[in-house]
Amino acid sequence: MERRAPSLGQMLLSASAWITILFLALPLVIIVSTSFTASAFLQFPPAGFSLKWYAQFLGDRSYLDSLALSGWLAVSATATAVVLGVPVALVLTRAQFKGSRALAALFLSPLILPPIVIGAALLQFGTSTGIARTFWVLYVGHVVLVIPYIVRTTLASLAGFNNSLEEAAQDLGASAVSTFFLITLPLIKPGIIAGSLFAIIISWINVELSMFNTTASLMPIPVKLFNYIQYNVDPMIAAVSATTIYVAIIVVVALDRVIGIDRAATN
Amino acid sequence: MQLSRKWVLALLCAPVTFLLAFFIVPFILIVIQSFQTQDGAWAADNYAKIFGEGYYWATLFDTFRLSLWVTVCCFIIGYPLAYYIVRRIESRWVRRLMYIVIITPLFTSNIVRAFGWIVLLGRKGLINDTLVGAGIIDRPIALLYGQFSIILGLVYIMLPFMVLTIASVLQNIDKSLEDAARDLGCNAWTAFLKVTFPLSLPGVVAGSLIIFTLTVSAYVTPSILSGGRELVMSMLIFQQYGAILNFELGAALSVVLLVTTLILVVFYMLVLDRGSKPSAARG
Repeated sequence: MERRAPSLGQMLLSASAWITILFLALPLVIIVSTSFTASAFLQFPPAGFSLKWYAQFLGDRSYLDSLALSGWLAVSATATAVVLGVPVALVLTRAQFKGSRALAALFLSPLILPPIVIGAALLQFGTSTGIARTFWVLYVGHVVLVIPYIVRTTLASLAGFNNSLEEAAQDLGASAVSTFFLITLPLIKPGIIAGSLFAIIISWINVELSMFNTTASLMPIPVKLFNYIQYNVDPMIAAVSATTIYVAIIVVVALDRVIGIDRAATN
Repeated sequence: MQLSRKWVLALLCAPVTFLLAFFIVPFILIVIQSFQTQDGAWAADNYAKIFGEGYYWATLFDTFRLSLWVTVCCFIIGYPLAYYIVRRIESRWVRRLMYIVIITPLFTSNIVRAFGWIVLLGRKGLINDTLVGAGIIDRPIALLYGQFSIILGLVYIMLPFMVLTIASVLQNIDKSLEDAARDLGCNAWTAFLKVTFPLSLPGVVAGSLIIFTLTVSAYVTPSILSGGRELVMSMLIFQQYGAILNFELGAALSVVLLVTTLILVVFYMLVLDRGSKPSAARG
């Protein structure tokens, strides 16, 4: 096919696309670069280069506690969600029964319900069961929040699955359980890992659900940032924020390695 | 491998119990509480208040209007980018880079992203500095803490959803359809408008509904970028729980938000069902 010379419309299209890309990158670039400023207030372009704001927040016990809580919450909630979610995906693809649509809807619904309402509901639940404002209520809340990501990506990897390998294993005498662990699980592992990466990040950045159930000593890092930003903006907060951006970039790169970013993007 | 009934029950036992206990029961508790007054009597007072008093009603209305604006802006900005990525980028690496730039913000907390806009839009921020430096304005203008910054911040947060949803639909539309239209005499613009755009509408509608739903319940971005001066529904909910301690009214507001979202989601499913038919026909 002949190549047409770029028309005005095409130039406008590519200009608008690149401006939008710039728009998406700009706030994050600004935060990362201001976090290295040597001055005592936020400015762009940053004055000088210094790591002192990173040193300041890493020297503050309460920030380390918040980071640790968030990390622990994300990992434990995701691990639990994998244990609970993978069997659901298996059942949804491997069994025909009435109510399977309802089952799928139940497990995917936390994805679409307002997290602030889930947070309020959990506060209510915590108050009536006596676990309000403890790690446990945050933990169960985050499991609920991230389960859909595991179920969805596992379903996707089971959908394109070659059944003959399982049948071969069974013909050779493997039991249902060992077929699952030796054949099925390794094959759907990329889907589970991708789902786990999504889950970890969703838990890591959640505010709405967590904020109903925090105390001064039990505060995930985004909630702590949120409380701080409403009264103060300074380079230390830029350093904390930049640190969470590094985590995001690491996860995005990991996702790219596991299933390819274009697949992750349009899934 | 088909699972037997025994296996199905065994596998579902723990997950279903978990969600019933920690997800469904809490929601039932909220619905029950929304029909109580602060003294514990049964009444629909909270709902009467929400739909009867101008204050609550106005916030509801404002939230919907805001969500509509954000959705429209995301469509206008997002569609060209999605189209450009799917149809114009030839290098796999450039496409990959673009997807990384679109997804990384999604993986960053809304707070951090709102904070980026505070730095950009502040009186001494990059935008005011540039405008003053270029001599376009004499003194910094107030960009933050108003409708403008809320809409800008929310569009920024929601945009990736629109781009990704439209891109995934565009990817499945056969490019040769557009080429055929051009061979038959359409120019690029009419070929797009008459062929590709109508086929991509399910993606537009799906993206719009996702964004509308998320914006209706957004909390962090409007609270930070309004400086507390403009209220949206979710801020009203948190106020009832956090400051005013009227849990019952908070519960009723939550139920209103929940029902609104559910209506939108059902609508979304219907669109998605219709949208999947042409793609099945394409094989």
